[in-house]
Amino acid sequence: MRAHLHAGKRMLRKVWRGLREWCGDAAYERYLRSRTQRNALPQCTLSAEEFYVEQLNRRYSHPNRCC
Amino acid sequence: MNKFLTKLIWIVVASLGAGALAKIALQRGESLNAIWFVLAAACCYLVAYRLYSAFVAAKVLALDDTRATPAERHDDGRDFVPTNKWVLFGHHFAAIAGPGPLVGPTLAAQFGYLPGTLWLIAGAVLAGCVQDFVILFCSIRRDGKSLGEMAREEVSKRGGFIAQLAVLAILVILLAVVALVVVNALKSSPWATFTLAMTIPIAMLLGVYLRYLRPGRVLEASLIGVALVLFAVVAGQWVADSPSWSHAFTLSGLAITAAIILYAFAASALPVWLLLAPRDYLSAFIKAGAIFSLAAGILLVRPSVHMPALTRFIDGSGPVFAGKIFPFCFITIACGAISGFHSLISSGTTPKMILRETHARFIGYGAMLLESFVGVMAMVAACAMQPGVYFAINSPAGIVGATPEAAAATISNWGFPLAGQTMTDLAHKVGELTLLNRAGGAPSLAVGMAQIFSSTIGGDRLLSIWYHFAIMFEALFILTVLDAGTRVGRFMVQELGGRVWKPFARTSWTPGILLSSAIIVALWGYFLYQGVVDPLGGINSLWPLFGIANQLLAAVALVVATTVLLKMGRTRWIGVTLVPMAWLVTITMTASYQKIFDPNPRMGFLAYANALAAQVAAGKIPAAKLADTQRLIFNQRLDAVVTAVLAAMVLVLIVEALVQWYALLSRRREPVLHESPYVATQWGPDFAGTAHGDD
Repeated sequence: MRAHLHAGKRMLRKVWRGLREWCGDAAYERYLRSRTQRNALPQCTLSAEEFYVEQLNRRYSHPNRCC
Repeated sequence: MNKFLTKLIWIVVASLGAGALAKIALQRGESLNAIWFVLAAACCYLVAYRLYSAFVAAKVLALDDTRATPAERHDDGRDFVPTNKWVLFGHHFAAIAGPGPLVGPTLAAQFGYLPGTLWLIAGAVLAGCVQDFVILFCSIRRDGKSLGEMAREEVSKRGGFIAQLAVLAILVILLAVVALVVVNALKSSPWATFTLAMTIPIAMLLGVYLRYLRPGRVLEASLIGVALVLFAVVAGQWVADSPSWSHAFTLSGLAITAAIILYAFAASALPVWLLLAPRDYLSAFIKAGAIFSLAAGILLVRPSVHMPALTRFIDGSGPVFAGKIFPFCFITIACGAISGFHSLISSGTTPKMILRETHARFIGYGAMLLESFVGVMAMVAACAMQPGVYFAINSPAGIVGATPEAAAATISNWGFPLAGQTMTDLAHKVGELTLLNRAGGAPSLAVGMAQIFSSTIGGDRLLSIWYHFAIMFEALFILTVLDAGTRVGRFMVQELGGRVWKPFARTSWTPGILLSSAIIVALWGYFLYQGVVDPLGGINSLWPLFGIANQLLAAVALVVATTVLLKMGRTRWIGVTLVPMAWLVTITMTASYQKIFDPNPRMGFLAYANALAAQVAAGKIPAAKLADTQRLIFNQRLDAVVTAVLAAMVLVLIVEALVQWYALLSRRREPVLHESPYVATQWGPDFAGTAHGDD
């Protein structure tokens, strides 16, 4: 029973993370993680607000929605 | 034993699919349960994914998981992001699924349920999914290059330029036609107009929230937005019931046209975070919810399909749009079977986020299968209503008349019994003044969806709420296509203008932003205006034009794909892309020829222009309508020229490709592939992307 509960919790956690990734909620966290992994200079790292606006400007400059 | 069981399961799935297909193809005279459509489509998709896509992946493309993808090589946390395949599937599906797979099948239902359903299934499995999959693969192997760049490198420089021009032309026609669908859904409907108008301040509120209050918290902002939009749907009823408010929101087709043009200009010129992006988030959530609800509703209610398998309109005399079943069924249903626009998405963001090459099969082929399934559901929703009602909603006043009695008499004469009172009662039940002459597919689909939803929850009491929820859902994501497309068109205009005068290309220069936004809005706005004032219903002219343009872009994508396969030495398998390409060229060229030169005025642009010109010359047009008629004549000739130019551009590209294919096959030219060099992946087989990377 406990094993099933544990598996259910893991599954829900995965779905939640997937949903956050899909809708863009986790984009800034992913960006920070990528910067850390690449040992990038902290002063060149964008703030959450800067990152959000910059990401939108890039995304909506080419076809990203079909008919 | 396991192998035997697996084979047995697949034999059962294939047999079920074949049986269901036979049932929907051979049943005559009685209504058919919608569950047969779901079963036929689902089984065909499963078998096609298991066998055909596996064959394309292994033999034709030889996907290689030891090769690092662009997401691994250029991982920057912004554009190039290794993403879990389920998450990327969701991204890709949200990007490719627009109003097309809902509207196209609804319009094509005038031929009966059978032609459209068969084309949706066969077209997706053999052409649409293959196009998306192969272009995605080509772009992955080229660091995420766009279709235009690949056409320039792999076919010819001229090919790349033609592809870019074709994209701009298609964008203009696409935006005009989807805007026309919204105009026809909102005109004289205070409830729907109020609900949609409310989405603008709601989106701006979310924009401010996401920018300044909680940057990037899309999920919570979208949930707030969805709740507000649902409240706006309910509040729309109070507006419709209030005489003064109802008067303010009851707008004519031309007034809504002006409002939509102004809105798109603002959305293109304003910062993207303020209006465009938050509306897109809202739209994505409501789209996912509505599509899921429609699927669940069809499975729960299992409605009967009342439309016959084939109607008398396969001869080309249909009231919704003119044209015979061949080629116009295949032009009308583009998205859902094959859509050239998808190749822009498959060579856009998705290839930069894919984790492994083998995921291209699931994402490219699989997402298109799901879109096709959405198309089949739309076909079911349209065909589940009484055929008489369907034709009354979708036929223009110029053909069936403007009053319920006149429409009922005409439609009953066609063999689809309808009483005038039925339309009056239905309009009253869904909270509208009238449902007549609303060509475009959106209102009839909304009626079909509302009937399915209300059979599950609320009955007739909630029919009006469900109808306006469906209209809001369709209009909301059509407007998302409209504002995002206008903005992309603005960038294209700026890029082209920058070749003449460099400062114009600067995307941060305000005069350039305003001028380019005005140019792109004026281009599609003109086509929208001509559709709104067309007495035969603009859908009759514009939807086939859009279908032709979209399928021509698909032909361009398949030309690029075939060229790449030839250069890769996969000559044996080029039929996989060459056969769909040949089919698309055949249907688009036939449709283009018929739309330009057919002697029937309802069908041929030139014949209609000449018929009107003859009436003017004979003095049959009253002086008050002379200017409008002259404009109509000009518009028809313009549509003929646009169709001819699009067809000519694609023919030039095909000739260029044929020259190259001949040179390659006769070994007069060495194949030069422009793939990125092979780099071995550093990721272990268990790495599943950043979404679950910390598991």
